[in-house]
Amino acid sequence: MAMSTGGGGSSFNAEPNVTPMIDVLLVLLIIFMLIVPMSRKAIDLQLPDPTQTPNATPNTDQIVLEVGKDGSYMINKQVVPHPDLDRKLHEVYDRRPDKILFIKGDTLAAYQTIIEAMDVARGAGVQAIGVPPKNIN
Amino acid sequence: MAISPSSGRSSVRAEPNVTPMIDVMLVLLIIFMIIVPTIQTSFKAIPPNGANLKPAPEEDDDQILGIDANGQYFLNRQPIHNDALGRMLDDIYSKRTKDKILFIKADKGLQYGKVLDALDVAEHNGVRKAAMVTDQAPGTISKIAADRINPSATDANSTGTGENP
Repeated sequence: MAMSTGGGGSSFNAEPNVTPMIDVLLVLLIIFMLIVPMSRKAIDLQLPDPTQTPNATPNTDQIVLEVGKDGSYMINKQVVPHPDLDRKLHEVYDRRPDKILFIKGDTLAAYQTIIEAMDVARGAGVQAIGVPPKNIN
Repeated sequence: MAISPSSGRSSVRAEPNVTPMIDVMLVLLIIFMIIVPTIQTSFKAIPPNGANLKPAPEEDDDQILGIDANGQYFLNRQPIHNDALGRMLDDIYSKRTKDKILFIKADKGLQYGKVLDALDVAEHNGVRKAAMVTDQAPGTISKIAADRINPSATDANSTGTGENP
């Protein structure tokens, strides 16, 4: 890098032309600086309002997906096998105007399995995912 | 450092000598390459994978709660006492009038209960929305990447029968 060979030769320039290389390096640097913060992805959850007291008579219309300790799925207390979850959610939400799903995960389940359930739900058209308050069983 | 003396005075060279600039740039590049990972080593969590994710470009006033595999909390990459989280979130979100969103980057191997604990603290301290940071699973494409741009696309499926299941 930047070797200045014996400078006597006035006509011969033996130094490599590094300017294009620097151009490319700087552009790459800028591209990576821009891409890294832009590439973050997330799943949004609605949190319950703590100031609201839970209704004594729960809304029967809402749909609750329970994720068990072993990763099993239950939609409104009805067991759903893993491969059927997407189809089942489509059945429910395709003709439903409010696309809200509550996901209640077992506290001993792995975080990844809950995220998978949320992921499938988002893919099936659910637009808002709610997490029930922790003290409700 | 690497100054080539312009010895050949036979012709006038009008080009600026960029070699020192390159040297500085490359050194800066190397310094940043080394520094960036060492800043991040204090907090290590592998977020879970998912397919249908929503892009969430980083912004300056984002608050990021990290939870590593041991359940230790990090608020904006600084390790904090788990008990202090509520107070710190309250400080931040009581001053905010909009966008009460908290990004949660939790390790995928955690028990969901640990994440729920954090969500519980967050909801009692002014957070209205949690964004669970996830990685795009390799080889998958999000079905909802354009969710915000065209929200009616998913509604087109509904036949409007008017009955709820």
